[in-house]
Amino acid sequence: MNKELEHSFVTQLEENQNIVHKICRLYTNDSDAHNDLFQEITIQLWRAYPKFRGESKFSTWMYRVALNTAITLYRKSKRSIKTQDYEGVSFRISSEPYDDTTEQQLKLMYSAVKDLNDIDKALVFLYLEDKNYKEISETLGITEVNARVKMNRIKEKLRTIINP
Amino acid sequence: MDELELLKKQWQSREQELPKLTYDDIYKMLLKKSSSIVKWIFLISIAEILFWTMLSFMVPESSTKFSDDIGLHNILVGVNVLNYSVFGFFIILFYRNYRKISTTDTIKELMQNILRTRKTVKYFVIYNVTASILLIIGINFYYYFNQDMVFQFMTQDYGITNISQHRFMKMFFVIQVLFGIVMIGFVLLFYRLVYGILLKRLHKNYNELKKIEV
Repeated sequence: MNKELEHSFVTQLEENQNIVHKICRLYTNDSDAHNDLFQEITIQLWRAYPKFRGESKFSTWMYRVALNTAITLYRKSKRSIKTQDYEGVSFRISSEPYDDTTEQQLKLMYSAVKDLNDIDKALVFLYLEDKNYKEISETLGITEVNARVKMNRIKEKLRTIINP
Repeated sequence: MDELELLKKQWQSREQELPKLTYDDIYKMLLKKSSSIVKWIFLISIAEILFWTMLSFMVPESSTKFSDDIGLHNILVGVNVLNYSVFGFFIILFYRNYRKISTTDTIKELMQNILRTRKTVKYFVIYNVTASILLIIGINFYYYFNQDMVFQFMTQDYGITNISQHRFMKMFFVIQVLFGIVMIGFVLLFYRLVYGILLKRLHKNYNELKKIEV
């Protein structure tokens, strides 16, 4: 029984690991911290897995547990000093050739998002993941109206950072 | 919001750049130990209970003999029984809080639960500090009203000679007060340091989330 549970869990996590990686990228600054957080999220997911009864999609449930871990449970290690190395993530996408300015703007935007506080970052993350305000509010435990208002304020904030 | 919309568009297509872990990589992670805040709070509270328990065992024998001689034996046994029942009660509370913290709650609920756990620890520390202060005050009152006996047994047990009772008692009470202050100061400092560091970020995020509600 336990083996079965393990197998189904690992398989599902393997399929959906991108969600966790994206959160790790947003909340950490180097690959060591990234791996630490991924590990912690995996443990928390596994611990909560017996309670997951398929009432929602596995991925929806994952958003919740993973963000919970990144924001409240994870203890940032001292070594995660802010470096921009990790930003080496390129925004260039093969199919669409962007000119340098666009790429520059995207890089700026991404680092502005990374500089937000933990809660704002979670909101933006869910927004980027194309979640609707109902899902966002359910994950964070705030009302839908508040989520909407807050998101508009963050957009405003980001806009002033990008175009001072 | 042009840039954010652009970023959103790119967000999904960037997925091929993310690391890819294999089934085995993930499987191995299940066996690793968690290092979450909750676990630390739980471990530290257990350590605290052990600390206070050890402290009561570490009372030197001469001191026990002294309190027996002076007639405090039954009172101290009573205090210990009461103390351990309260400890037991707190251990149950700690455990229940710990179990209640489930990762499937919303972020806000989870934070509330952690802070509630924290509150239990706080009450535990307040209980300990208050109980210690009351005990120290109580015992010293007892000493104060039985100065002759204290002087007699102290000088006898520790082989102290050539000091007047008045001088000795003055020194005795000064030492008692200083010792009490140092001990309580130490406990409060420890408490601030450990939990202050552990919960700083959580408090910050919780306040952030509460601000959204206004």
